[in-house]
Amino acid sequence: MKKDESKELQSETSRSDYTINSPEPGPYQLHIVHLYPDLLNLYGDRGNIQCLRMRCKWRGIDARVTECNSGDRLSLASADIVLLGGGSDREQQIVCTRLQKVRPELHDYVEDGGTLLAVCGGYQLLGHYYDTPEGRMEGLSLVDLYTEQGSPRLISDIVLSNETIPELSTFEIVGFENHGGRTYIGDNMPFGKVIHGYGNNGKDASEGVLYRNVIGTYLHGPLLPKNPDVCDYLLQKALDRKYGISLSDFPDLDDFLEIMANRAAVLKHFY
Amino acid sequence: MSLRTILATAAAKAVLAACHLTGRPGSSLPGRAALKVDPQIIASLAAQVRRGIIVTCGTNGKTTTNNLLCDMLEAQGFRVVSNRLGANMMEGVAAALATAASPLATRPPGYRSAPASGGPLGYLDADFACLEVDEASAARVLQYLKPDYMIITGLFRDQLDRYGEIDLTMKALEKAIALAPDMTLVINGDDPLTAFLAQKSGHRFVAFGVSEQTTPEVDFPPAEAVSTPVSTPNSSDEIREGRFCENCGAPLHYDFYHFSQLGVYRCPSCGFKRPAIAYDAARVTMTPQLSFDVLEEDSAPIRISAPMTGFYNVYNILAVYGVLRELDLPTESINEVLRNYKPQFGRGELFYLGRNREQKVLLNLAKNPTGFGQNIAAMLQDRSPKDLIIAINDNAQDGRDISWLWDVDFERLADETVLSITVSGLRALDMQLRLKYAEIASTSAKTVEEAIERRLADGCGNLYVLVNYTALYEAHKYLEGTAK
Repeated sequence: MKKDESKELQSETSRSDYTINSPEPGPYQLHIVHLYPDLLNLYGDRGNIQCLRMRCKWRGIDARVTECNSGDRLSLASADIVLLGGGSDREQQIVCTRLQKVRPELHDYVEDGGTLLAVCGGYQLLGHYYDTPEGRMEGLSLVDLYTEQGSPRLISDIVLSNETIPELSTFEIVGFENHGGRTYIGDNMPFGKVIHGYGNNGKDASEGVLYRNVIGTYLHGPLLPKNPDVCDYLLQKALDRKYGISLSDFPDLDDFLEIMANRAAVLKHFY
Repeated sequence: MSLRTILATAAAKAVLAACHLTGRPGSSLPGRAALKVDPQIIASLAAQVRRGIIVTCGTNGKTTTNNLLCDMLEAQGFRVVSNRLGANMMEGVAAALATAASPLATRPPGYRSAPASGGPLGYLDADFACLEVDEASAARVLQYLKPDYMIITGLFRDQLDRYGEIDLTMKALEKAIALAPDMTLVINGDDPLTAFLAQKSGHRFVAFGVSEQTTPEVDFPPAEAVSTPVSTPNSSDEIREGRFCENCGAPLHYDFYHFSQLGVYRCPSCGFKRPAIAYDAARVTMTPQLSFDVLEEDSAPIRISAPMTGFYNVYNILAVYGVLRELDLPTESINEVLRNYKPQFGRGELFYLGRNREQKVLLNLAKNPTGFGQNIAAMLQDRSPKDLIIAINDNAQDGRDISWLWDVDFERLADETVLSITVSGLRALDMQLRLKYAEIASTSAKTVEEAIERRLADGCGNLYVLVNYTALYEAHKYLEGTAK
């Protein structure tokens, strides 16, 4: 059933039918690079890509996704948004040796204001190292943070608030966390303040990290579909860097369903 | 038989009766009661099983495999104790054994070994115990019960928050396997994760698999990419566990995939490879029904036909066939048993509703990306118009984390034969959101009953209901009630 063929469906819950009229693609293009999806693909991270892609499409922005697998040569020259997902410990170990070779490229990209979303294992790799009883995994040292393995695993629904970044302050940020690592971000700005769940280390009420145009976070769920503001924040940063334009120059999207899902996740824990 | 065991079985039976009175299946609670009274209940009852204990593990296909095996053994006249309803944690196993034992009956005929206490109480009259056991519970269960065989159907992503990751599932199984050194493993050789576990364990093992590339009907073509161009919008996009060698970490080389990470593989670096396949399916066809040859060294191929859909059932059937061969039991009756096989509780359960039984409803459990992908593929093989209901809950048994919904290729549902999609369950909004990002419209209903009711009223008479674990009970109860 295609989206426009909803004719036969009665509107049972009034707003649940939607039609999305994607405008013709305009002159704007964003290039999304998914790093090592063959290794780092746990927990629905594909949903983040899908979310970025569709929210571009629905605004008439031409989004192109390139998967950079572990055997491929990495080039970030044309990249506008980079995604680094999570993997199991074993896969992460494989990645971390491979990543060292491309560290300079990633470092320059980040310092040049490139947009990067790193989730879970990818987030841990942003830092200096991840210490486990089996040994140390060297990170990329893109952001001044480090991770140590702890017990038990921190597994929970999680709700964050961010009152420092206006674009992220309208709604709580919701997701699911499942990590053995305890991450310490020093003086960096966290992605959000934990109001339910564990966060970086279960102690300091911080979750994730914001550094330049990088978001590092433990939030799965996947992160972006139920937090459309976070998705738009990333798109905004990328558009600004490439074209110097604002998302508000594009048509508004109907986020009714996204916001309902976000609210439901918050309400579950507070009412 | 100790007094404790007798009391424990009596307690289990009392709780079971109470469950039945209140309309519950009573697949776990009686076990909890029995374990409270006698923590050794599993050990003392399992020790009475006369001919063999077969445990089935694996993230997908446990219930179907276990129940088929029970049917085969029962068809040959054996008495079989099992947890058919699929309650597969410690309590479920205890419940199956304790409620099958006879606290008050006299010593059953043909009982060989005299029990320790010599009394007539607390006997378990069973030739075989066939138990499906949850991977995370296996290490606990196997402390009390030493199986002769363990079937491992395959390991796919499942309920990630309970297990952490697939690596943890493997570790849990590895621990369980080590507890029963004399056990033979009957494994899915097409799954590199399972094969690695078996090879590493040092146990005797036999493998089943499919060595020839199956026809394209198995690997359904993905729906037209609904978005701006992406680099690789093909079915190899499917999420695969274990594409890297468990032994050395190098990427595995695949001759071909069947689905998910199942296929014919080898490690170019360390030499790890797909094991020799003792029970091999060939000439697999999916329509009008599932049908294939079983090839075995030194014997003529036999053709198996089953009124089932879904390629994964080839593995379930091969596993059962393999165990029968290992037990040196006849396999001739397999086609007849398959013909009469009653899918347990929403594993492809078919209902005919309406005044003239004109409404066809197929209820299927789909609780992880692999299960969902296979169910969608099977559904789309039916080219007649259909309505679809998807219900997703996130209760403890379902797993609280449902991010795997984004790993399912729902884009395939943009198919002209799918007339409507109705979502329901505690996480209906998440499901609807997932479909929105596949650009597929859906409506929502508060409960799965309501969803079914509506589509029975205005649908096309061909309804598919895909649900995850706890939603299955609601859907099943409603459909069964309506069918009567």
